Amino acid sequence: MTETEDGDPSATDGGEPPDGSEFGVGDGMDDQDDAPRIDFYGGKWASTIPLAFFICWAIFQSGVLGIGDTNGLVIGALIGTILGMFFVRGDWKAYADTIFEGMTQRVAATAIVAWLWAGMFAETLQVGGFVEGLIFAADALNVGATTFPAAAFVLCGLLATGIGTGYGATVAFVTLFFPAGVLIGANPVLLFAAILSGAVFGDNLAPVSDTTIVSAVTQDADIGGVVASRFKYAIAAAIPAFIAYLIAGSAMAGVSLEGSAALRDTATAAGLVHLLSMGIVIVTAVAGRHIVEAISWGIVVAVAFNLIFGLSSVSDILAFTVTEDGTFTALPFVVVGDAAGVGGSLYAGAIGFFPLIVLTLLIVSMAQIMIRGGGFAAIQEFLLNVVATNVRRAELTMVLGTATINGMITINTAAEIAIAPYIARIGEKFNINGYRRANILDANTSALGYIFPWAGGVLVGYQVMVGPEGLGAEYGPEMVVNPIDVVPYVFHGWFLVIVFLLAAITGFGREYIPDRTSEEVSRA
Amino acid sequence: MSRLDKFFAGFSFRGSTPDYEPGDVIEVMVTGAEGGEAVARIGDSTLRIEDAPSGAVNTRVLVAVDSWDEAAHRGTGTYRETVGESAF
Repeated sequence: MTETEDGDPSATDGGEPPDGSEFGVGDGMDDQDDAPRIDFYGGKWASTIPLAFFICWAIFQSGVLGIGDTNGLVIGALIGTILGMFFVRGDWKAYADTIFEGMTQRVAATAIVAWLWAGMFAETLQVGGFVEGLIFAADALNVGATTFPAAAFVLCGLLATGIGTGYGATVAFVTLFFPAGVLIGANPVLLFAAILSGAVFGDNLAPVSDTTIVSAVTQDADIGGVVASRFKYAIAAAIPAFIAYLIAGSAMAGVSLEGSAALRDTATAAGLVHLLSMGIVIVTAVAGRHIVEAISWGIVVAVAFNLIFGLSSVSDILAFTVTEDGTFTALPFVVVGDAAGVGGSLYAGAIGFFPLIVLTLLIVSMAQIMIRGGGFAAIQEFLLNVVATNVRRAELTMVLGTATINGMITINTAAEIAIAPYIARIGEKFNINGYRRANILDANTSALGYIFPWAGGVLVGYQVMVGPEGLGAEYGPEMVVNPIDVVPYVFHGWFLVIVFLLAAITGFGREYIPDRTSEEVSRA
Repeated sequence: MSRLDKFFAGFSFRGSTPDYEPGDVIEVMVTGAEGGEAVARIGDSTLRIEDAPSGAVNTRVLVAVDSWDEAAHRGTGTYRETVGESAF
């Protein structure tokens, strides 16, 4: 160990234990900022109490009880934040101020803005019959029982890439595509797993995906560049996954069910125009335009297509509901209903992200408390000095760290936000490029969110099958898949994890900061 | 960088000890200090940075590479300017 010019201790190999003090605000370079600003009873480790409590809550809620409710996590975060305050020595004001300091970080604001836009776009595609268009494609291609899982993987992947939400794609495909496939003789376990694989693909690659947005903005990289750079990993996992579904589709028998395939009932070719809406967002984002601009163009085009091709009404997109007929009800976006309110795809898409936005603000606040209390630096010092001692081990630590936390906290965006500061700092200590860091972070986040029985993605699909109005009640118990059975067959998820383990070991795709500069965060 | 190049960037097996040529001007994250001088660890290679301002650790700086030992994967360079900070 040597001394720096200002007297701060640092390692001789350039791996100075970071303090994490520049989490968002300030330059964090002066002596005062290096010192913990909040003193806790029990030392710096006590500053991890809010986040540790939240993680335990998340594991118990989502992992043990199988409740995939983001609002529930919000309560866990609030209680954790209050709990931590009781361990503060002296005045609690610094603790309270740190909550605000965390919430006002740019990283949270950037993600929130992108989510709101992405939500409006995704929901507009949904009401515009995009799913029905994909079902039309499957019908037109004359997909049979053995090829149905492979087709489901590709088409669900397309939908998830378009709408950015793997959960939404899973619900849509399990509702509409899954029963049709099982009825024509596809194996239900394999088919459910293929749908989950498609969701992983889209969650990982889509520029409008919540996890993609978080991975980019937390690693100081632009979203378009991140999407382009992760294409190689996604394809490296998707091609073998597609082949595996073809082989397994032939090998695994379907179930015997009475009924007829209902594909044609819901199929409409016109919904396929939204492949263009989706393409516009991807192309403009990759071209380096700001994500707000890229998605805004996508929204404009999607709304235009919906109205021109009659895919939805104006009130499907935006509706002011009033209880009595009047002058304004002649307008196409003012409708009469039982209860007054505002609705439509733009409304529903944006507010769908509100729970996640609140949760994000609380998680970054808890992380900031950990930084101001010294817990962040302590954990990072341990990782850098004991575990991540060279670049290969650093990347393996990043891969296994994200995999572990996503395996436990199965609402994957929450897990991603919690681990993101560590991925940034460990990667930066070896000058690993922001694109590479974002890709490592998001691959495991996407994959692990759809594999294990307690994963949020699996649970939302399972929820469609069970219950009084579920597929099981409608078609019989053969239409219900035990979540534990799908674990080995979520091929794209597993292959994505394997691709990144191999990439960390072999250096495939590795880029250093001097290789190329991530575009500005303002262009996130 | 063109749109197509963005898709193929990094499409290779990259070693853990990148090397640079004298005269290269590169952007690096300053990762620590050694003997009172700023140091950037790039993978498992090390670049000592002369004339870096105090408190440069965890900032991104432009450095002109002055010398580089390819056997030891170590080099020295001169600080040009600060261009950014840590992501967190």
